[in-house]
Amino acid sequence: MIIPTMKSSTPVYISGYGGYVPKLRLPTSDIAKLWKGSGSGPNKTKSVANIDEDTTTMAVESARNALSMSGLCDIGAIFVGTESKPYAVKPTSTIVAQALGVHNTLAADFEFACKAGTEAMQVITGLVGSGMISSGIALGVDTAQGRPGDNLEYTASSAAAAFVLTNNSKRSVAKIEASTSYVTDTSDFWRRQTESFPRHLSRFTGEPAYFHHVESSVKQLLSEINLKPSDFKYAVFHQPNPKFPIQVAKRLGFTTEQIQPGLLNPIIGNPYSASSPLGLVSTFDVAKPGDRILLTSFGSGAGSDSFSLLVEDGILDKGPNYTPLTDIINNNKEIDYATYTKLRGILK
Amino acid sequence: MSVSYWRLRDRYYRIIGSICDSCNYESFPKFNTCPKCKSHDISDKEMPHTGKIISYTLSYESMPGFEHELPMSIGLIKLDNGVNIVSQLVDSEAEDIKINANVKSVFRKINADGNSGQIYYGYKFKVINA
Repeated sequence: MIIPTMKSSTPVYISGYGGYVPKLRLPTSDIAKLWKGSGSGPNKTKSVANIDEDTTTMAVESARNALSMSGLCDIGAIFVGTESKPYAVKPTSTIVAQALGVHNTLAADFEFACKAGTEAMQVITGLVGSGMISSGIALGVDTAQGRPGDNLEYTASSAAAAFVLTNNSKRSVAKIEASTSYVTDTSDFWRRQTESFPRHLSRFTGEPAYFHHVESSVKQLLSEINLKPSDFKYAVFHQPNPKFPIQVAKRLGFTTEQIQPGLLNPIIGNPYSASSPLGLVSTFDVAKPGDRILLTSFGSGAGSDSFSLLVEDGILDKGPNYTPLTDIINNNKEIDYATYTKLRGILK
Repeated sequence: MSVSYWRLRDRYYRIIGSICDSCNYESFPKFNTCPKCKSHDISDKEMPHTGKIISYTLSYESMPGFEHELPMSIGLIKLDNGVNIVSQLVDSEAEDIKINANVKSVFRKINADGNSGQIYYGYKFKVINA
């Protein structure tokens, strides 16, 4: 039986969004120089959280930006999607709530590898759409881990993205038209309890994992809402490396131009749960009212969520405090591998 | 996390100070008695998260537990409401840290009780529009 595409009974809107990318960049040529002697990774650089940054601090920064844009204060849910919680047991979401001054709220941390952020968006869509709460904040955040010398080390990066979802259409940036989710038990990537770094089965990464799940969720969504790739102005796919989103876009009938505004992997790497949500932030920054955007995540283990979003007039007024994601990304400083190991506590 | 830090978490997380309900004098940290008019009618107030550097130093010596962050920039900041606050300056190049530089607050880790203890979060500031 096919799970039907999810549509809320009453409209749900995104009224604020915010992205956060740490200032520091590690050139992947530095990683290759140490482990291979020369060369570089698939992406040019990756973003690295500073010594005093973690998933909680980046979540707070992105949530403050999103909340400032939305102008809302009646937040009834704060869900943090991440696989790099600073505490194994103690919610990140309660610290975020305290930092935002929000207390009468649901608060929880979600985990589903790189798709925990979009999962949080779907749950809040349900809560808002059913009338249980009027607004909520969904976050995708990670200080991604990659074992030293492993292929993942080239791409695993740090960033955060937050979205305020609400039933209030007044400052709607975009309307959530529908979403879907597709999952199977596929062991392409995992991290056992107490382990510091994830492991992966390389040959499972592409076809059985990323491509199968992304294509399945997108095809199901398009079929059920009766739209085709050309009906979308933009598309954002999860970006484990620079090639996969381009390849899957082509296989599904999307053009490179449609995914270009949200393609961030070449400069910041893969911030896991923040990857596709941050691509959406970047795409919102260039979108105009009437544009339709496809957002598709992928999480190892494995699953994919797809959304159809219709941009509305609120996109024209981002508020006086908004800083475009491009400006945040361009304000950067390169570090070397030795500094990276110190900042991330990799050498034990 | 120490009990005192937990009690003051809104001070560190949100820069909550106080305002005198009698004369509107704002202060950080919070006072129970207004330093200006001596009133006890005090309310909590979130301070502005932006301001300007009025003095700064670059420290090569640290308190125990902060050795990994050396050298450390520390600034005396006048917030937009005129209240002064002392804070670590982060994500800012040495040449950008100067008197009258615009700054904004950021939420960061302050310290932690070792690898298994609790993590202390709070405000720091960074230079903007350098």
